Formats: sequence, structure tokens, C-alpha cells
Amino acid sequence: MPGGGHCPDCGSTELVEDSHYSQSQLVCSDCGCVVTEGVLTTTFSDEGNLREVTYSRSTGENDQVSRSQQRGLRRVRDLCRVLQLPSTFEDTAVAYYQQAYRHSGIRAARLQKKEVLVGCCVLITCRQHNWPLTMGTVCALLYADLDVFSGTYMQIVKLLGLDVPSLCLADLVKTYCSSFRLFQASPSVPPKYVEDKEKMLSRTLQLVELADETWLVTGRHPLPVITAATFLAWQSLQPSHRLTCSLARFCKLANVDLPYPASSRLQELLSVLLRMAERLAWLQVLKLDKRSVVKHIGDLLQHRHTLVRKAFRDGTAEMEAGEKELRERCQGPEQGKEEVASSSLDLPEGKRPASPTPLLPPCMLKPPKRICPPPPVSTVTGDENISDSEIEQYLRTPQEIKDFEKAQAARQAARSVSNPP
Amino acid sequence: PGTTPLYPSPMTPMTPITPATPASESSGIVPQLQNIVSTVNLGCKLDLKTIALRARNAEYNPKRFAAVIMRIREPRTTALIFSSGKMVCTGAKSEEQSRLAARKYARVVQKLGFPAKFLDFKIQNMVGSCDVKFPIRLEGLVLTHQQFSSYEPELFPGLIYRMIKPRIVLLIFVSGKVVLTGAKVRAEIYEAFENIYPILK
Repeated sequence: MPGGGHCPDCGSTELVEDSHYSQSQLVCSDCGCVVTEGVLTTTFSDEGNLREVTYSRSTGENDQVSRSQQRGLRRVRDLCRVLQLPSTFEDTAVAYYQQAYRHSGIRAARLQKKEVLVGCCVLITCRQHNWPLTMGTVCALLYADLDVFSGTYMQIVKLLGLDVPSLCLADLVKTYCSSFRLFQASPSVPPKYVEDKEKMLSRTLQLVELADETWLVTGRHPLPVITAATFLAWQSLQPSHRLTCSLARFCKLANVDLPYPASSRLQELLSVLLRMAERLAWLQVLKLDKRSVVKHIGDLLQHRHTLVRKAFRDGTAEMEAGEKELRERCQGPEQGKEEVASSSLDLPEGKRPASPTPLLPPCMLKPPKRICPPPPVSTVTGDENISDSEIEQYLRTPQEIKDFEKAQAARQAARSVSNPP
Repeated sequence: PGTTPLYPSPMTPMTPITPATPASESSGIVPQLQNIVSTVNLGCKLDLKTIALRARNAEYNPKRFAAVIMRIREPRTTALIFSSGKMVCTGAKSEEQSRLAARKYARVVQKLGFPAKFLDFKIQNMVGSCDVKFPIRLEGLVLTHQQFSSYEPELFPGLIYRMIKPRIVLLIFVSGKVVLTGAKVRAEIYEAFENIYPILK
């Protein structure tokens, strides 16, 4: 800075002119000491050029941010920090919260809803950056009810017209699996139960992909499928020592909550694996069940694409696939390689199991709970005559009215006796 | 020889102009109406306590809800009757049945001693459902039709599709079952289904 200016504190010559609110000051850029405060009084001609500074501008706040909104914005930042999100996420989530607050319906909402809105903004930000945060986690952190969260979430997505991508399954598998406390021995985890993280992750991912392909994921909560897949992956990596461990015990020693549908997902996944095993020549002879199939999960996953194609049929595609195969066979030896490989896995014609089961979601495979008869065709016009007798069946007789009134009075009396005023 | 004649000879008939199959094939599935909600104005103030006392098929808990809940057996419906004289009728399976039911409720109220009329009857909402009989990859549908779809398996197993024309909301499930709602007339349900069927296939 030219001129003979020295900082009285540190002696530096690096003085800068900084205008603090509407007053200009000379500040040392090294130690921050305020050297001069500028002119407090002005001449008459200077005053004509000055502009009035409003209170809200002089305090540095651009908008009139209500206390409620300020609290909400603080909560958004707190939540981002608790979740250890990157700093850019914080700014996006805060922006969404401010955007939401511009709507009168949100400004006038109950505190419970505003609290849940904090979670919604953070969740939307995470989804848009493919950060696998589940609604369950957010609700647990906010001590919020999922129903309340759900309503506010759907409302805010519609209100702000946002495009929120789906939860990324592969990323969720990675973060969720990493949270299982199984990668080091501890007092609760015996050495035979300790597993290599990468091996477990890779196998879990393959099992989740298999579940997705065989309709076990669509329409269902994603987490229980991953819990079941993690359990099977872990068991199959050392079946001799781990087959005796149940799903519940596994979750307990891994220090992870067991979601209720996980047992059902586990059974469904085992059924799929059993169907695939029926198509593998050296497993067919072993007559596997849901326990023993776990030992062969490695093999089944290795050939999963071929096995799924063979074990399940798709109703409409079946005929087309059959025709395509015939045409390909006529084409020549190029197809031979894949066919040889697949036929070596397969049994000779005579010993193949019964026709493959259809590849359908479990809800379509279960028999319907009750058969609804088709409703009879209605010939009602709406203008029919209404008979008096039909209406009178809905009216009380004078005697009934008297009885009802007596009963009501008696109940009233009984109430006043038991609750004296 | 070498050039084709401008007009075909009488021996070769002209090919028909209209195609044998129509350009857009209909699905062949007709959605079934499941619920009709209608409103009507009985045109007079009502004393709900009296109605609850004198009618067999009425229920009234003023602390819980400020209306009488009345039911009739045929057509099997439920009505909410308010002290202002306005009434909501739900549960009918067709527009005609809803109107007949509303007329019967009005008649009951008349017989209870009120000068009930039957003004401004209007169908407010129609709900239909059907089954396409094949499974649907909801995660794929939400990607290709993102601007109309909302699929959150953490909250609800179905995909919510908000169609713009006609303005109908569809709930699409993995099993292939579809629920359509928000219609004021039956044709909107049919049109919405014909619009969604090629998207689902």
C-alpha cells in the first residue's frame, strides 16, 4: 500500500481500505488491526452524495429471515455435519430449505413438519449426488415418524418440481455392508466369523444383482434384500463354520439392526438359488435343500447368467427364444462355443428337471387370497322408483326411539356417577 | 411391355384402401370401476342429533367427526351427511348406482321430517382398476417416464404416474395391476388406460 502507512500493532505496511457496512476503514491485512476508522462527520456537500443504509442491510442480512427459518437452516447444517456429507451438499440442502420456505404452506406448517422438512432437503440433496442415504436413517436421526416424513417428502418434491433420482442400489450395498462389524475379531466376533471386506462386498453385490434380475427387489424396500444378501455372502464364504449361525444372530454380532422383511427375502433368494442349482449338472445329483445350497453359492454366482436363463422362463419370450435357438443352430459353428459351454453345465435331455418356473415377482406366483367373482352387469339407470317400504326399513319405530333414548340417559347417568364433577 | 399401365386392367382388381388391422391396437382389457364419489345438496339445514336418533342406519360421534355416517344395503354405499345439508355418497360401482343411492339417502332424510331436495348432484371422483397380467419393471418405467412418475419403494410399493391428458393418477404395481383415479367421467379412465398400456408393454 503506497504512502507512509504503518500498522501500529505489527508495523506492517500492508494496509487495505475495507468498507465495513457503510463506513470505510484502513485495516492491516497482516494482523487485522483497524488503523483509521474513516470520517465520522461529513461536510454539507458530502452528505448530499451519501445514501441511507437500512437497518437490515446494515446488519448484513439480505432477507428478513424469521427465527423459525434460521433454526431450520441451522438444523440442515447440523444434519449434514452429523452425516459427514461434503460441504457442497450443505449449501444445496440449505438452498432447498430456503426455496421451500418461500411457499406459504410451508411457512405456516407445524414445527413437526418443518423439522421433517430439514430431513427431506438433506435427502433430496444426497439422492441428486448419488449418495446412498435411506429414509429410515434420516427418520431415525430426526426421531421422526416415517408416515409424517413420507407426506412432507412427496409434497416438497411436487411443490419445488424436483427430479429426484432413485436410490442407487450398488452404492447402498457398499455403504451398508461396510457398516457390518465383521472385518476384525472382537469379543463378540469369533475368528471364524471374521471376513475380508472386499470379498464380502463383491459377493453381496452379485447376490443383490441376482435378486434384482429375479424380481425380488422391484416394489420392495431395498434394505432387507441387502441384509439377506450380505448374510448369504458371508455364510457362503466359509460355510463349514457359519451354517449354524442364524440371520438374527448374524445381525446381532455384526451390530446391525435386523429389518423385519429380511427373513422373507432370505427365503426367496434361497429358492432362486435352488432353482438355479437344479440346472447345474454336478449339483442336481446332490439333491440340495435351502441349507446345503449355501455351500455352492460361489459356483452358482459364477454361472448365474446362464443358469437364470435356463432355470426360469419368461412366458412370451419362451416361444421366441425357442425359435431363435433353432435358427442359430442352423447358422453354424460360431454359436458352437457358447453352446458347448452351456451344454457342459446342463444334463442330458432325459435327466433334465421339469419345465422351468416362470420368472415372475413373488406376488404373482402366490395363489390369489380370494377369488373375486366378476361383478354382475348392472342395469341400474339411477331414475328407478324408490318404494316407501324400502326407505322405512331404515327408520326407527317410535318404540325403538323411546328405548334408545332411555338407554342413552342410563349411560349418561352411569357416567356422571363414575365421574363426579 | 416394359411400362406399367396407368390404370389396371379389368382382370386385376384394385387393392383395398382400408388396412385390415387398425393403426393402434386396443389393449382388449377394460378397467373395472371400483368406487364412485358423488356430492349432492339437500338444500336445507339438518339437525344431526335428530337424524342419529330416528334412523337405524346412522352413526354420529360429534367429537370425532362433524357429520352423520349413514349406510344403505342396495346399492351398497355410505353417505356423509352434514348439518349444512350437503351430502357425500361413496362406495357405488357405477354413476347410475351412485345417483340412485344418493336419492335414497335424500328420501330417508325426507322421511325423518326435513324438507330435503336433490340439488346439484355431481360425480366428484371415479376409481377403476385392472390387470395387464404381466410383471412391470417399475425402476425402468421411472427412468423412461421420469417427468410423470414417482417411485419410492422405501415408502410405497407402487409407482405413481400422473398422466396429463386425461388428468388421471395411476398406481402401477410390479404384479401388473393398475389402479386409476381422479376421473370425473368414465371415458377418462378408459382413455388413461389405453394411453398407459403401450408404455407398460
